[in-house]
Amino acid sequence: MKKSCIAMLLAGGQGSRLYALTQHVAKPSVPFGGKYRIIDFPLSNCANSGIDTVGVLTQYRPLQLNSYIGTGQPWDLDVSDGGVYILPPYLGAGEKGSWFSGTANAIYQNMAFIESYNPENVLILSGDHIYKMDYADMLREHLAHDAACTISVLQVSLEEATRFGIMNLGDDGYINEFEEKPKHPKSTLASMGVYMFNWPKLRSYLIADENNPNSSKDFGKNIIPAMLAAGEKLWPYHFQGYWRDVGTITSLWDANMDMLSTTLINLYDPDWPISSRSPVCPPTYTGENARVIHSIVTEGCEIDGHVENSVLSPSVTVERGAKVVYSVVMPGAVIKAGATVEYAIIGENCVIEAGARVGTAPDGTEGWGVATCGPNVTVAPGQVIPAAAMIYSGEEA
Amino acid sequence: MSKYHGIIFAYKDAPELGDLVRERTVASLPFCGRYRLIDFALSSMKNAGITDVGVVMARDYQSLLDHIGSGKDWDMSRRSGGLRMLPPFGLPHAHTGNYGGTVEALNAVADYIRDIPQDHIVLMLGNLIANIDLAAAIAQHESGDAEITAICAEGPTVGLNHQYLLGEDGYVSGIHLDRGDAVKGLKSLEGYIIEKSALLRLMDEAASRNHYAFHRQAIIGFLGDGGKMDVYKHEGYVCAVRNVEQYYNASMDMLCSDKRHQIFPADRPVRTKTHEEVSTYFSEQAVCKNSLVADNCIIDGEIENCIVFSGCRIGANTKLKNCIVMRGVTVGENAELSYIVADKYASFSDRTVLTGSAKLPTVVPKNTNI
Repeated sequence: MKKSCIAMLLAGGQGSRLYALTQHVAKPSVPFGGKYRIIDFPLSNCANSGIDTVGVLTQYRPLQLNSYIGTGQPWDLDVSDGGVYILPPYLGAGEKGSWFSGTANAIYQNMAFIESYNPENVLILSGDHIYKMDYADMLREHLAHDAACTISVLQVSLEEATRFGIMNLGDDGYINEFEEKPKHPKSTLASMGVYMFNWPKLRSYLIADENNPNSSKDFGKNIIPAMLAAGEKLWPYHFQGYWRDVGTITSLWDANMDMLSTTLINLYDPDWPISSRSPVCPPTYTGENARVIHSIVTEGCEIDGHVENSVLSPSVTVERGAKVVYSVVMPGAVIKAGATVEYAIIGENCVIEAGARVGTAPDGTEGWGVATCGPNVTVAPGQVIPAAAMIYSGEEA
Repeated sequence: MSKYHGIIFAYKDAPELGDLVRERTVASLPFCGRYRLIDFALSSMKNAGITDVGVVMARDYQSLLDHIGSGKDWDMSRRSGGLRMLPPFGLPHAHTGNYGGTVEALNAVADYIRDIPQDHIVLMLGNLIANIDLAAAIAQHESGDAEITAICAEGPTVGLNHQYLLGEDGYVSGIHLDRGDAVKGLKSLEGYIIEKSALLRLMDEAASRNHYAFHRQAIIGFLGDGGKMDVYKHEGYVCAVRNVEQYYNASMDMLCSDKRHQIFPADRPVRTKTHEEVSTYFSEQAVCKNSLVADNCIIDGEIENCIVFSGCRIGANTKLKNCIVMRGVTVGENAELSYIVADKYASFSDRTVLTGSAKLPTVVPKNTNI
């Protein structure tokens, strides 16, 4: 059966700028927003948009991602004529085969998967963006404008524009120029890294790009410029709403803090649920001494301390006299009596022993930043982890 | 495949629960923020590796069917075997009312039981609040030579009234029926590990004598014939709720860390239907003390000694004390509720003041708008 659209989700990035958090797991499976992992957002967007076939391209530390996605059942992607597929790099008989050398190469290496569904269009997604978006609406515009490629764009500030791929539009509304991280941006329309391609067209450009030894095999750097040069129709899909790239410790922390505001992104909207593979936990218990203020808390937590402006994943313990302020605490972490966690990200199953301190409030000094504990770290009683520090456990997970 | 097949009795009535069971059986009564009572029996079985399970129902089972679905949340949606919901069939009067007793319920599904491929069966109540280590009970059953092992607990226990007396050999020597809290022996949790052949024999004998009661008739007959019955002693919290006060007290018991951890031990998780959920948000002015709060709530007010199910909205300056609010309950602003059990999707407008009492909590039925 011919599919109108299937999605390919690029989840292979190492996430090196999140080092302590991604030492043992791929970036898309980093916990986010209490209940979720980062990949829940694109997967849920697919499910909510009626896209039931998703290839997830992995190559870095895929174990946890594989087990998290499983059959795709939490996102209703366990369907018989589609579904969610983990696509690792592979070696073919007699062929060379290799790791994915770029985003475009990753898709090139999985053309057989795409062909098996014979889709009219292919949606390319990133596994490290937080946003809610109706891809079906994007597809409608893509078809209505007879585009070879539709690129989702949003308005950014002039200052931010230098960090993005920037689109310049012609009078007819189509994209006539694409600049990757321009020093002097001509517009403030930034690419979100969400591309809808006409599949036969993309296929031919992928093959041409693969045969170009000078190409870095990247959508933004190579495929899009090649399409523009050849005069293809590239349409901008103007996205309005919340969108964040969570590739750095600061942006990951910021985006978690954004979840405390329902006006930025409403996660309580029953019409656009973000789904996740939930652990089975009893409800959160808040004790006699608990104080939970302006915070997100997920089931399975036991709180008898002070939690403020923070995001707590499932099964976090905050003991009496402990303080968690402006922090992100990932599943299973324990903050013991009298410990203080401030402006910090605490990884899965960390133990912050009694009286320890992690992070400090911003003090105006240069070099201040969010403190980060990687998964399974134990901070000894009374130990102090300064601002901007990143600590991780030495063991292999 | 497990050598054991599970049967869960989800047909029991408890009219004293009133509005709480008007549209559901006791087995599907919501409990502790996100569960239904039958989750405990299903999870005990799942945790012991038993995934072929029949659930015996009689009526008002729509909410039970909705909750259990295909059984996938307990890994009981299997290609062969798995979960089977067993509505009344096979007996001419089965459609007219509820079963007179467990043996009648079993005989109503006799064809199902005869076709069970396993030689051993575990019977459990669908309305028991307990996290029973069935694997340990089965290990004990297999190490002895009894045809039946009764799952028991040391009393007193709420809502469970049959007691087994033990002989000097450690096997059951007699049964006391309906002995309330005057504890002489071990309280029966009405869970049994039984050989399929023995169960069919008991059912057959009961049917031929027009008996319908399990303890009063079948078990007494079994013991009278010299049948060998062992007991497995369950340690930990146990409760079978039969009225609103018991339901309320059992719910509040879960605020006690000790009891809660007995019901939700880390190594035997209680599974339940998963919903689309998001974490709970506590606002700037939220206060939440000695309470259990499930996911997908927005808490703007003050909560003390409460059980808050998923999907609730508690407005600003509202005070909730000693309340149970089930899934999707909305309480407006400046309201005060105490000793209220609000069933699913009840809503309370701004400035509502409503007070029940500890002895008789006020039940606000499902979908009520106040």
